[in-house]
Formats: sequence, C-alpha cells, structure tokens
Amino acid sequence: MSTSSRNPMKDQVAFAGAASTGFSAHNTERTPLSLAAEACTTVLRECGLKASDIDGICGPSTVSAGDVQNTLGIPEITWWANPPIPFVNQVVMAASAVHAGICDTVLVYHVPYRHAFFTASALRDPFRRVLAPIAGGGNPDTMWGPVGYTAWASRYIHEYQVPKEHFGLVSISDRSYARDNPLAAMREPITMDDYLNARMIRWPLCLLDMDVPVDGSDAFIVTTTERARDLPFSPVLVNAAVLGMVDANVEDQNVSLEHHGHHVVAKALEAKSDFWIDDIDVYFPYDGFTIITLNWLENVGFCGRGEAGAFLESNWDAEQNRILINGKVPVNPHGGALSEGGTQGSGHLREAIHQLQGRAGVRQVPDARRTLLTAGGFFYNAQGLALHRE
Amino acid sequence: MSELISDTDLVSMFIHLGIDRDSAEHFRGRIEHRLLINRCSECGTYHQPPRPICPRCWSTSIVPTAVSGNGTIDLLIFLHQGPPAPGVDYTTPYPVASVGLDEQEGLRFTATIIGSPNDEIAIGERVTLDWIDRAGIPTPVFRLTGDAS
Repeated sequence: MSTSSRNPMKDQVAFAGAASTGFSAHNTERTPLSLAAEACTTVLRECGLKASDIDGICGPSTVSAGDVQNTLGIPEITWWANPPIPFVNQVVMAASAVHAGICDTVLVYHVPYRHAFFTASALRDPFRRVLAPIAGGGNPDTMWGPVGYTAWASRYIHEYQVPKEHFGLVSISDRSYARDNPLAAMREPITMDDYLNARMIRWPLCLLDMDVPVDGSDAFIVTTTERARDLPFSPVLVNAAVLGMVDANVEDQNVSLEHHGHHVVAKALEAKSDFWIDDIDVYFPYDGFTIITLNWLENVGFCGRGEAGAFLESNWDAEQNRILINGKVPVNPHGGALSEGGTQGSGHLREAIHQLQGRAGVRQVPDARRTLLTAGGFFYNAQGLALHRE
Repeated sequence: MSELISDTDLVSMFIHLGIDRDSAEHFRGRIEHRLLINRCSECGTYHQPPRPICPRCWSTSIVPTAVSGNGTIDLLIFLHQGPPAPGVDYTTPYPVASVGLDEQEGLRFTATIIGSPNDEIAIGERVTLDWIDRAGIPTPVFRLTGDAS
C-alpha cells in the first residue's frame, strides 16, 4: 500500500461544540436514550441551535439515530449512521457526510453504558439485562475481543522484558489528571502500590489496567467550517482523520507488536495532516487498556519499541504524579478511559475540543491550538484524528 | 463417524464457539480428534480462522487439513475470572495460549494448556496437541513437551 497524502476534506469540516452528562461508575436509573437526550440537548443549546437546524445524526450501534431523532423531535434529516465504536468511526462518517454534501449539520453522540455483560452489578439490574444480550458464550479458550489485549500485553512484557510498573504509570497518570475533571467517574488518586496490589483479572492485566464501565453521554455538533464560524465557540477543524487496519486483524493471528492497525494509522495520519507529535499542545492516546497507551506512544514515534515506560518515567511530572511530555504537553488531561470512564474515545474527543476552544476550565492548556487523538487498539479499531483551531 | 452427525446436532454442539458453514468442517474434525486448519490446495498456504477463500491467492479450493498439533507458545494469559464453562475452575488461574503451529510461521491456534503447573507454562515453550471431553464436547488442548524451543 502506498500511503497517500490526498486529503480534500482537510479543514473543510469542523466541530462547533461538545457537551457531556459526566460519567458514573455506578448503575444510574436511566436508559441510554435518556443520557443521550441530556447530552444532545445540552450541546444544541450551547451552540444556539434548534432541532430544525440538524439534518444529520450519527451515534453508536447501541442507540439508534432514529430514536434520537424521534426523542429530540428533529423534523427532517437527510443522513444518519450508527457505525461501531470506537468513536473516531462516528467522526469520520459525520465529517465525510458533511464534506460530501449529504447533510450540513450533524448531531453526533455516544452513550457509554454499564451493559449487563460488563459487571456483576449491571447484570443484577433487570432493565439492563433486557437491554443487551450477555456476550461471552461460555468459551474461555479464546483471545477474542478484550482478551486479545491481555495476550499482547503478555507478549510485550516477554519481548521487551519490562516491569509491570511501566503499565502502572499509565493508570496513575490518568487518575491524577481525573482529579481536575468534575465529569470523571474515578477521581481519587492512586499509588504504584495500589496498582501492583489491584485484583488480577486476566494475568498480566489487573483491574487498574482496564477502563471503567460507566453510564454517561457525550454529544457533538459537526458542520462545515464556514457554518461553524457563525456559531458561538471557536471552530475545531478536522485536519485529518483515518481508520487503520491490517489483513491479519484477528486477535490471535496478529503478526506482531510491530505490525498492526496502529502503524497504519500513524503512517497515514502523518501523511495527511499538517502537523505531528512535535507540534501538538495536548495528546490523546487511547487507554481502554494500559498496553494500548504504551503502544501508541511508541507507534506514533515518541520513543522506540519497548521504551514507552522509560519515556513516561523521563517525562514524569513528579509534583502532580502524572505524565507531562517535555514538561508541557498533557496526555489525556480529562483522565482518559481508565479514570474519566470507558467512553470508547468520546471523552477524549470532547476534552480535545474543549481544550482547543479554551473551555477546559482548570485543565486548560494555555493557548492550545493543535492536538492528535489516536484511538482504538490493534485489531479492528485503530483510528487517528488531527484537530486544530484557526 | 462425523458424517453421521447431522448439521443440526453439529451446530448445537458448537454453537457457543460461533460455528458457521465456513467453519463446519473444522468442528466436524474435532469430533474425530483431528485439528483441521484450512489450507489452500493451489498455493499451499494455511489460514486461520476458516475463511471461504484463500486470503493469499483467492483460490476457492480450500481443504480443511489435519495439522500435527506441534508448536510453540506465542501468546499466553492466565484467567483469574472468566465465562462459566464446564470443568473450568478459575480459583487456579486458567491458562489460555495461542500456539504458533509448526506447519507455517505465524499460523496460530488458541486453546488451554493442561498437565503442567502454571509456573512451568511460559511463552516460548514447546507444546503438542491433546483432547479432553468438556461436558460431552471434544475440546482441543495443548500439553508441554518439555523440549526447549
């Protein structure tokens, strides 16, 4: 494959706003649609938009665009989609639809939800049991789905002979950042001892290596850059976006830690975007599992293979107990999936937009202009997004 | 023997493993304790999991082929909790390994490891195929051979 720099959509589409319900690590007495309705009406009000201003709707497969439309009374739309997560899928689809002229202004939403298959307490809620089938199927002899990350975490430790503490730094950093984020589900700081003593789930990964199942919703407005300029907040421009995947994308057939979706994303996003890791003011690597963050740091080029832990140590802000690249670039300042909550990337995106709009409150990076968001994992779901403001 | 098993019985036996028409022959092989991996009869390449054409040369001439079952542990985890399954007790962490089969570089099959204490099971160890009965369902497993890779 040749990596193409062709990118006619560059800067033509923008985020006008982003809003959230905040996230809870306990079962709320609310449906996914109720959470979506709150986030969607909030973002529409904040952007000064009416239901009739929306002509496109895009969200996850778990809450249909049709239900969001009939709940919000959005009179007519000309485009909608419910692709799988992580959330850069939704962004790529919505931005492409706007750029292609199928619609002008898209309401984009996500609803991370404590489905019955996630936790024992969610399984006890009868309303959650009827909402989603119980996955898993009673087969332990598989590397399918989330188990695959544990498998490659084990391989990572074997190949690079690194200590578990390297994974722990990701978890600790997220928690330290979440302290400053009122939307986050988990805000109590943790220590390395807490990490090393956490309950083992699938060796070598423990509870604190895995994102937190949460209830909540994020919502966004995607429209033409031209239209976004007329709305209240600074437009956040989509400079480049890609979804990366390789042929050997089944978890146990993945070729190696040196050849998977991340590498496709890094190469293509760098080719299509106007800026890269040395130019950004804040960075959002996915952290659904700690191993994914270590890999992203290596695969976008912050450090060499197996060196992410050492990179975290040498870029550690000891006073705040969190990573700060070169003493100035925060990493997942909202607390990421490990502490704000397992948002499959929507939380990372919302924080990215708020940072570039100057709306990130006490977490605000001074004069933040550019960011990279590298979402998803190794197999079916690596994704990248380059965002900036004018 | 396996030909005597109806599609209905075959599907009900392996429904929890996601059986479909493309993987049916692989699962029929399990009943005879044969580990069948799809191989292209034109270019000779194995692939896994079972696909309707050869991902390398697009030939539709795919033959589910018995492999030796000898290989090396490439990926290894231990489940401290997991889905309920007959005969599986997570109080001793349950090993799951992806084994690189000797037939082809990078061709892996995932199963548990039996017959050795967990502290002897490691990435790089050599293994060989065996079979256990799990609530009436023939289940492929691996055992350490004791040879260094």
